[in-house]
Amino acid sequence: MKKECIAMLLAGGQGSRLYVLTSDVAKPAVPFGGKYRIIDFPLSNCANSGIDTVGVLTQYKPLELNSYIGSGQPWDLDRMSGGVHILPPYMQEGEKGSWYKGTANAIYQNIGFVDMYDPDYVVILSGDHIYKMNYGKMVEAHKAAGAACTISVLEVPWDEAPRFGIMAVDGQDNITEFQEKPKQPKSNLASMGIYVFTWKKLRQYLIDDENTPGSSNDFGKNIIPAMLNAGEKLLAYRFDGYWKDVGTLESLWDANMDMLSRGDLDLLESSWPIYARLPAEAPAFIGKAALVEHSVVTQGCEIGGTVLNSVLSHGARIEEGAEVHYSVLMPGVTVKKGAVVKYAIVGENCSVEEGATVGGDPADSDPDKWGITVLGPGTAVEAGETVAPNTMLNRNHKEVSR
Amino acid sequence: MKGLHGIIFSFEYHNNLRELTAHRMPASVPFAGRYRIIDFILSSMVNAGVTDVGVVLHGNYQSLLDHLESGKDWDLSRTHGGLRLLPPFSYQHSGVTRQFRGKMEALAGVRSYLEEIRQSHVVLADSDLVINIPLKDVYQAHLASGADITAVCTSNLCGPEDATWFHLGEDGRVNEALFDLRNPAGCHRSLEIYILSKQLLLDLVDECISRDEVSFRSGVLLAKANTLNIQSYVWDGYAAQIRSVKEYYDRSMELLDPSIRREVFHPKRPIYTKERNDASTYVDPSGTCCNSLVADGCTIEGTVENSILFHGVSVARGAEVKNCILMPEVTVHRDAVIQHVIADKRVEILESRTLMGHENYPMAVGKDSKI
Repeated sequence: MKKECIAMLLAGGQGSRLYVLTSDVAKPAVPFGGKYRIIDFPLSNCANSGIDTVGVLTQYKPLELNSYIGSGQPWDLDRMSGGVHILPPYMQEGEKGSWYKGTANAIYQNIGFVDMYDPDYVVILSGDHIYKMNYGKMVEAHKAAGAACTISVLEVPWDEAPRFGIMAVDGQDNITEFQEKPKQPKSNLASMGIYVFTWKKLRQYLIDDENTPGSSNDFGKNIIPAMLNAGEKLLAYRFDGYWKDVGTLESLWDANMDMLSRGDLDLLESSWPIYARLPAEAPAFIGKAALVEHSVVTQGCEIGGTVLNSVLSHGARIEEGAEVHYSVLMPGVTVKKGAVVKYAIVGENCSVEEGATVGGDPADSDPDKWGITVLGPGTAVEAGETVAPNTMLNRNHKEVSR
Repeated sequence: MKGLHGIIFSFEYHNNLRELTAHRMPASVPFAGRYRIIDFILSSMVNAGVTDVGVVLHGNYQSLLDHLESGKDWDLSRTHGGLRLLPPFSYQHSGVTRQFRGKMEALAGVRSYLEEIRQSHVVLADSDLVINIPLKDVYQAHLASGADITAVCTSNLCGPEDATWFHLGEDGRVNEALFDLRNPAGCHRSLEIYILSKQLLLDLVDECISRDEVSFRSGVLLAKANTLNIQSYVWDGYAAQIRSVKEYYDRSMELLDPSIRREVFHPKRPIYTKERNDASTYVDPSGTCCNSLVADGCTIEGTVENSILFHGVSVARGAEVKNCILMPEVTVHRDAVIQHVIADKRVEILESRTLMGHENYPMAVGKDSKI
């Protein structure tokens, strides 16, 4: 059945810069903000933008992500026609077919899927950004300008520009040049990794790119420069809301803290809801001796101790006499009596036993050695043990270096 | 097919829930921070492997329909079986269609539905009961005892005024069923959960209707305790028949006790409810919250103590909420003080207002009121 616009969500990356947090799951399945996983943001944005057909391209450790997405019902993406589809690499005629070699190759290998819906426009999304955005408006801008490709951009401080893919534009916001992590940026408009393509155009560029020897089959490195060289109309679409790439441990922690301060990223604001698949749990219980300040708590939490400036996902248990400061606790974490967790990201189902210390205050540490402490999912910190700041442990309790 | 089929009766008869049932039936009264009362028995059924459940509607059932929808949140949205909503107006007598007056009349009205039940046995239950009971065990006990009917009852005598009472024999058989008992000492109180075979249920429905006997209590329990083998299954865990504001308040507040919460929210038997999309609850540095049950989507900037907050409640700076139950989307504005109050959905307590109920007479404020 024909659709005007469908979305393709690139969710196959390993997310190696999240280290132990993605040792068993793909990056988009990493929990965020108490109730969510990263992928809830692009999926909910699609649902809220009126896009009812989404292909999710998976490759790295997809099992948890697949079962999380399921029928797509929490995002209203269980549809008679369209809906959400998981697209892993598959064999092709004559034993062709391969792993996805790059972002563009992933779409190339699924040209058949896109063609089933015969769309005019395709939105390309990634599964590692936290933001609320109406893709519908971006598609409208793309249509109005008659562009071949529209790239969503964010103004970043000039000194940070060298970390991003930078778009130089003319007076009508037409992209004149693309610089990947430039030393001398020509603009401060950073690509957010969100593209709208006119499908007929993209389809041809994907085929050409596949036939170009030595191409890394990547949107940023190959497709966009090829389109620019060919003189296609590329439009920059300015976005001014909250957007964060949570591809690193620090940025993941930062984004959680941004959510707590409820500035640009207010998840309690209900006009653009973010949906999630959730387990059936009782409301949170905050005990008699508990102290909770500037923190979020989620259903299934039992809090007896002190929780300051922290994000608690469902099923967290903070016993009386335990303390959690400036930390992000993923689902099912237990912190026992007398244990202290500071400036840490604690993976799913970790336990911090009595009297243990995880992480520490930057004020109490050597600034060169301080950093966020990270416990991989399922890690057990023994009673009385100390896990120093800037340390990372995997589930076998082995230290992992960054 | 062996197994249990569930039938839940919702009804709108005389109760003391006052404001809480002005816009809804007892079945859909919000309870325990994020549920409706019917969720508990419905989840108990689902957790016992029941795949087909009929809900008999009655009275003002709009709110119950909104809540149950297709049954997907209980995994009951199925191609075969699943949730069936049974309309209350199907009972035809002498050419007139009207609302049923009792359970047997309700069942007679949906007799064709009863005939199509795929399972060998049926569990009947009321929708005003808060319980998390392993119905699988009750079913096993029913099969093992060879009883005609198994009735779940409790030795706890504190319950609603219009309870059904059982005299149990030494073998656990229900020797006599009674109601309106002035002094129920030595009796057991029925929790109105009954298991019987589909065939017996059909026979009893036909027999009762032929005698113009509309109620299960008088037509079956009172009339047939001698001729049918009615066995008891005694359940002394948490069970609350919510039929008055006082009962509602007391049984809600019990949930602040961890041991009771462990019974109601048993990890192996989760209680399912309609999922909502609220972010986590935020507690501001200016707020304090203790000894309280708090659902998601709340913003707490004031003081909250010994209370139950449903989703989307907001307590502003300087406000004080003690011993209260605040239903979804209640707003307590700055410096307002409320104690022993049950505020229904979307109630607003304006700035600096003071509202005091008492432990013995909690104050219920009706839906959408502004004070």
